[in-house]
Amino acid sequence: MNFAGSTNSMQILLQLIYSGIALGMIYAVIAFGYQLTFATSDTLNFGQGDALMLGALVGLTLVDVMQIDYWLALPIVGVFGLIQGAFVERIGVRPAIKIKSEFGWIMSTIALGIIFKNVAENIWGRDDLPFPSPLPQSPLKLFGANILPMEILVVAGALLMMLAVEFFNRKTIYGKAVVATFNDRDAARLMGINTGLVITFSYALSSMSAAFAGMLIAPLTLTGATMGSVLGLKAFAVAIIGGLTSGMGIIIGGIILGIAETTTGFYISTGYKDVPGLVLLLLVLAVRPAGLFGKSAIKKV
Amino acid sequence: MSNKNNWIIAAIGFAVLIMVPFINQNPYYIHLIETIMIYSILLFGLDIVVGYTGQVSLGHSGLFGIGAYAVGVLFLKFSAPFWVIIPLGIAITAFFGAVLALPALRVSGPYLAMVTLAFGTIIQILINEMTFLTEGPLGIKISKPVIANYKLDDQSYYWVVCFFLAVALIVVHRILKSQLGRAFEALRGSPIASDCMGVSVYKYKVLAFVISAGFAGLAGSLYAYSEQYISPNTYNFELTVLFLLATIMGGRKTRTGSILGATIIVLLPKLLDDLQTFQTVSSGLAAIIFLGAVIGVARGRITIKSTLVPVIGTCALAAFSFVLTNITDWRLSIFGLMILFVVYYLQDGIIGFFKSALKRSHTTAAVDLSGTITAMSEGAHHSATNASPYILSAKNILMQFGGLKALNDVSLTIERSTIHGLIGPNGSGKSTMMNVLTGIYHPTDGQIDFEGKTIVGRTSSDIALSGIARTFQNVQLFGEMTALQNVLVGLHHTFKSNLLDIALNTQRCSSEEQLATQKALGLLEFVGLGDLAFEEARNLPYGRQRLLEIARALALDPQLLLLDEPAAGLTAPDIKELVNIIRKIKAYGITVILIEHHMDMVMSICDTVSVLDFGQKIAEGKPDEVQADPKVIEAYLGASAA
Repeated sequence: MNFAGSTNSMQILLQLIYSGIALGMIYAVIAFGYQLTFATSDTLNFGQGDALMLGALVGLTLVDVMQIDYWLALPIVGVFGLIQGAFVERIGVRPAIKIKSEFGWIMSTIALGIIFKNVAENIWGRDDLPFPSPLPQSPLKLFGANILPMEILVVAGALLMMLAVEFFNRKTIYGKAVVATFNDRDAARLMGINTGLVITFSYALSSMSAAFAGMLIAPLTLTGATMGSVLGLKAFAVAIIGGLTSGMGIIIGGIILGIAETTTGFYISTGYKDVPGLVLLLLVLAVRPAGLFGKSAIKKV
Repeated sequence: MSNKNNWIIAAIGFAVLIMVPFINQNPYYIHLIETIMIYSILLFGLDIVVGYTGQVSLGHSGLFGIGAYAVGVLFLKFSAPFWVIIPLGIAITAFFGAVLALPALRVSGPYLAMVTLAFGTIIQILINEMTFLTEGPLGIKISKPVIANYKLDDQSYYWVVCFFLAVALIVVHRILKSQLGRAFEALRGSPIASDCMGVSVYKYKVLAFVISAGFAGLAGSLYAYSEQYISPNTYNFELTVLFLLATIMGGRKTRTGSILGATIIVLLPKLLDDLQTFQTVSSGLAAIIFLGAVIGVARGRITIKSTLVPVIGTCALAAFSFVLTNITDWRLSIFGLMILFVVYYLQDGIIGFFKSALKRSHTTAAVDLSGTITAMSEGAHHSATNASPYILSAKNILMQFGGLKALNDVSLTIERSTIHGLIGPNGSGKSTMMNVLTGIYHPTDGQIDFEGKTIVGRTSSDIALSGIARTFQNVQLFGEMTALQNVLVGLHHTFKSNLLDIALNTQRCSSEEQLATQKALGLLEFVGLGDLAFEEARNLPYGRQRLLEIARALALDPQLLLLDEPAAGLTAPDIKELVNIIRKIKAYGITVILIEHHMDMVMSICDTVSVLDFGQKIAEGKPDEVQADPKVIEAYLGASAA
């Protein structure tokens, strides 16, 4: 009896770990978006969570209202994300970079995030909506615990997306412009690279990955205008834990946080499930501001 | 003069505020003004963080909530009286502010914004979940306070809030014009220079945040009594953004800006409740912007391209307002648009806009100039009672950045009361040496003793306070502050008065300020900037800025002064003046390390010269010896063809 009970609780734990990993990969993808823009311009989009939310809701309209197949909707949402990201950069970030105002881009990306959320509320309403799953809902067994096919898709899709962008950055000439801008913006500009365009492009890619993540997570949770805010914040925690420059770091950081959350939600209270990520964020910054995997920069005088 | 005027205006303003309940007894309006006053108190505090130290805090609605819930819990669980609850509310919130600031302020900019946002979110979650303490989503009902057995009603509580607003205004004003306010402003102007003036950036950022939290706590506490009901959802992200909007829209670094900002964010939602008002306002705004753009373009002041976005934006907004059927749903979008507008077109806020439009000349009064003394006399006591002839000795310094050895096994001993030149080609490691000596870099290896005590591993501000002052190769002044204030930041170490002294404006506080001002004026006189004391540092010509840096460094009362290329960019007569000043500094017994590329200057005033090349010391000795050294000639001119 006792033995059976412990097997059962082991199963639950394993199941929590599975869904924690899936959740963590979503955080990693959003954090990846932070890294992309931070690398090229030292700025990031405080409305990243809202980019995810828009991706999910646009996807919902495509799939549910326009009856487009999920797999076909995926690239359309990606294109939507690209445009949305470029828009954020042009309206919110570029003027601030021009006047060298940190306060400026922080406030304007926040403002744009609020506007997106509010617009979404007015278009799709304030209630959370279910997103039809493209895969069967019945769980599979993996090491004796249940795992949803959708969760496997999230992990695979997230990894593929990050790999694709990395591949693009490393192997194509456009990607090399991005990497050059990341290494030294001024030198890149002197070499004839249009760094402004590279920054716009990095924002487009960043929002695209967020929109993509929105499409991936939507069938597992509900979608709604408010789904983005907390996700964006916790993904920042992941970006900090992983370091704003480490690709491996965000995957590990995401998984740690995802599991911490699902287990807290189950063993303590769902009300507290957002707390570990935020506390972790405070702790990491207190101990190692550059992140667990990041390198600290040398200041020049 | 203008100071007195400000107080008169403030007094009249308060008189009007106090009269309001006699004129109009409509509780709706009284409550509205009360809310504006409460928000103003919070914004005074937020402005310290945002306006003065230049940090973005997204945690202030959380702090506001803590203040409110401190009242709620103390009232509900302990039925504590008003005069106990208010100070406790402030203290508890300030404590939470410290808990947040201690880890968070190790980072800045976007990191800080995210961390404070996380803090705000945690607070909201905790208020929601800790039902045993906070009653959770149900909220807490609070009745108006009882003072001296008299139960306040809506009207008398209004006066209580008036009273606290007056106190907050006076206290915040005193803090900001004291040495603390200067420190806050300095660390925004140049963090590195602040540290090197003995004003620890981290310490004062935390202090600013804690003070700011205290004001948020007071505002939150008053708010709880004002609303008589508190629930978790009030203290959300939107409120925090609204506070920031108010701060920047009103205008940072002014109290009137805070009050104006508070008025806007309280009244705006009321305005947006009514579609027709909104249509009128947005059409009016579009008309004004359009007219302004036309005039601007016609006068050739601005280009058509730069007016395109605001003109189209406001016209679209006006058009949009006529399509809408329900304005309340779009409230947040309108706030968002306002933030974008303020961030890009109204950076100094409404008050700042009017100030620059009216271009008031800088008021110079406030200090009695007749009392100017030549403050340098004090420097004389430095002329060594200490036994060792060497003031500083650096042994085998290694400074490595990745694979690059910027300093490789360099040893340096500096003789007391001399001028020690440090020369070498660009990139030879001179400035790196300066940065190592002032704690900006921590050497990879090696030992540095200053006055017999090691300085390796100590913070810049600590080293500065122990008697090493410096100037910077690329001028690091506090641009928005006057020349006098710049020097006063250097004199920060002479202030002993604490926060309580400042709030109460005690005798000690004012006499310290007076003494420091006289000293600072004396120092400005010493470098020949006496008549520019009230000019903003960023407006000074380049050569004067370098001299101001020297005056500021001398304010630290240093035993060792590091000058990093003080003559760079100076004209010949300016250089002559500079040489005289450096000689005078030496005469007062202060040891000088001089990095310089002007060889004739180095050779004429230095007692000893060390030469660096590729991070290594290649020669040392009397100026003429060094000048004749073939290795030095090779380093500067390249190897001879032979």
